[in-house]
Amino acid sequence: MKRKSMKSLIAVALVCAVLGLAACETAPDSSAVLDQARSAVAQAESDPNVTRYAPTELDRARKLLINAEGAAKEKSAKDPTAAHYAYLTTQVARIAQQRAQEQAATARMKDGETERQKILLTTRENETDRALAQAQSARADAQSARGDALQSQAESERMAAQLENLQASQTPRGIVLTLDDVLFDTGNAQLKPGARRSLDQIAAFLDENPERRVQVEGFTDSQGANDYNLDLSQSRADAVAVAIIQRGINAERVRALGYGEEFPVAGNADAGSRQLNRRVEIIVSNSDAAIPGRSAGAP
Amino acid sequence: MFTINGIRNGFFCAIAFGIVACASTPMPVEKLAVAKSSITRAEQAQAAQFAQVELNSARNKYVAAQAAADKSDALVAARLADQADVDAQLAESTARAKQQEQLVTEMEASLRDLRSETLRRNGTASPQPAPQQ
Repeated sequence: MKRKSMKSLIAVALVCAVLGLAACETAPDSSAVLDQARSAVAQAESDPNVTRYAPTELDRARKLLINAEGAAKEKSAKDPTAAHYAYLTTQVARIAQQRAQEQAATARMKDGETERQKILLTTRENETDRALAQAQSARADAQSARGDALQSQAESERMAAQLENLQASQTPRGIVLTLDDVLFDTGNAQLKPGARRSLDQIAAFLDENPERRVQVEGFTDSQGANDYNLDLSQSRADAVAVAIIQRGINAERVRALGYGEEFPVAGNADAGSRQLNRRVEIIVSNSDAAIPGRSAGAP
Repeated sequence: MFTINGIRNGFFCAIAFGIVACASTPMPVEKLAVAKSSITRAEQAQAAQFAQVELNSARNKYVAAQAAADKSDALVAARLADQADVDAQLAESTARAKQQEQLVTEMEASLRDLRSETLRRNGTASPQPAPQQ
């Protein structure tokens, strides 16, 4: 019997020990778990992402912590209620942090996508700008080339138009325009009204080319006295020079010379040739250089 | 009045009340269902890959909660179900956060590439793409 009672005592002690261990396992020290819960909540609270993105979960954790603290006060240290709520608190605080982290990452994704779009747009704009600039400069080049061409074309056309009725010819001395004798009555130095148009054109031409000088040279045929012809040619040259000056051309640019019967352009044998010799030539300088004088044999 | 029949009837009544009382302490069926659906959501969020510890904890507690419910231990079952639920929620949110972080890392890398590419393209006159090798 004694042995039996000893055995049963040991058995009871073992059972008690096992039960005690089991109690330790199922109800761990609630104060340690509470500390963990408190620090988990504090950590979540200090995370700015949590207050911004997961305030609901943080609230839930705080309420659970209050429950845990209350249970710890009201119940015995071995009651698992406080530890249970403390555990829930810790987990919910962690959930709050993870949700906040996810939301923050999502926000960064959105920002990143916006920035990506911006970069792509800027790149596209830059490329478009560059293409546009190239196109524009190409167009500008073309326009300016066309403009230059048009301008020079217009100028030569205008000059041609200006001088078309004036029998202009290019010589080493300059452009030589010939006014024939129909602009003067026989033996007279008075310009006929028909000369006006030609003189207007010459004056306009000189006006547009201010660097050019003009020399007016008068000629007669071989009929009549030499001195008379010389005077007549000078008078006619003067008349033309005066007409040009009257049209606004500076007198310094205009010079008048009478050559009489000299430098005929045709023989004086027949009326037609003589008519060609009766003329006034206007030499327009090629530049601002003085017009060289005539020498025998030169045109 | 206190006949044997009466005593017997009273006894039956007490048993009947006892049964009713047992039935009125309900098993946390709803909590178990909530925990189960949280675990499913965590699994769908690839928690098995990204939050294995938390998911396993949730699964183990769910099984323990069911066992407690089978043993009619409603309180333990409810608490284990609650714990399984928060474990599963933590597993899900951890998995989602990790995956989103991965996406951000990838996105930031591609942004860096894009920025340097843009810089290079604007910095040099050549509009040709960079040689890849």
